Amino acid sequence: MSPLNDTDPKQFIADFFTSFTEELLHSDEDPALIVDRYHTPDIVQIADGNRMDRDKLIAHTRPVRKNRPTSRMEVHEALANGDQLAARYTWYVQNRKRDLALEVCFFGQFAPDGRMRRAHMLTRALPTDAAPRQPPPATTDRQETSA
Amino acid sequence: MTENTYSVSGMACGHCAGFVTEELERIPGVATVAVDVENGMVTVTSDSDLDIADVRAAVEEAGYELTTTPSP
Repeated sequence: MSPLNDTDPKQFIADFFTSFTEELLHSDEDPALIVDRYHTPDIVQIADGNRMDRDKLIAHTRPVRKNRPTSRMEVHEALANGDQLAARYTWYVQNRKRDLALEVCFFGQFAPDGRMRRAHMLTRALPTDAAPRQPPPATTDRQETSA
Repeated sequence: MTENTYSVSGMACGHCAGFVTEELERIPGVATVAVDVENGMVTVTSDSDLDIADVRAAVEEAGYELTTTPSP
């Protein structure tokens, strides 16, 4: 049974990343526990060719918490097949030093309980004027996270 | 020119490398910064020896953590 069977894939991936980010930013809980709620112990993420296992993923939560970004994720398209999901989305991120808009092409695999097992992500930075400081009105395919 | 390599934890992608590079390049005397995201290493070349406190502060400012002292 796949968690993707009964969920719109756009909503699933938006909810996954938004909820994960919110938990990191809105609590002081041990980041390892949060990472483990959203990822299997053998998680491997490869972002632009850089491999991240569980330990590196946990280490990467430090800058996320340190910079306390406000972010918004817009999923442009998503497809699911069994336990696999492909999506193209844009993260609009604002922190104390910069505005960013990152377009991501995502290919992932999820465990039956909804945790991420594998992910390949290809990213590119969009021009910063693509990241409006005021997000547009929320729609079903947009998720927001505020720190 | 002096070259030192530092260990930095928390970097995951090219964007992380860019943030760390941007902050290190603000240190007076820094000429080049090369980031190896996969191995968590940052190599800095500078006109003279850098104060480790300045390097640590720059890495911290980017949000990351300096985990070792420099190795030439």
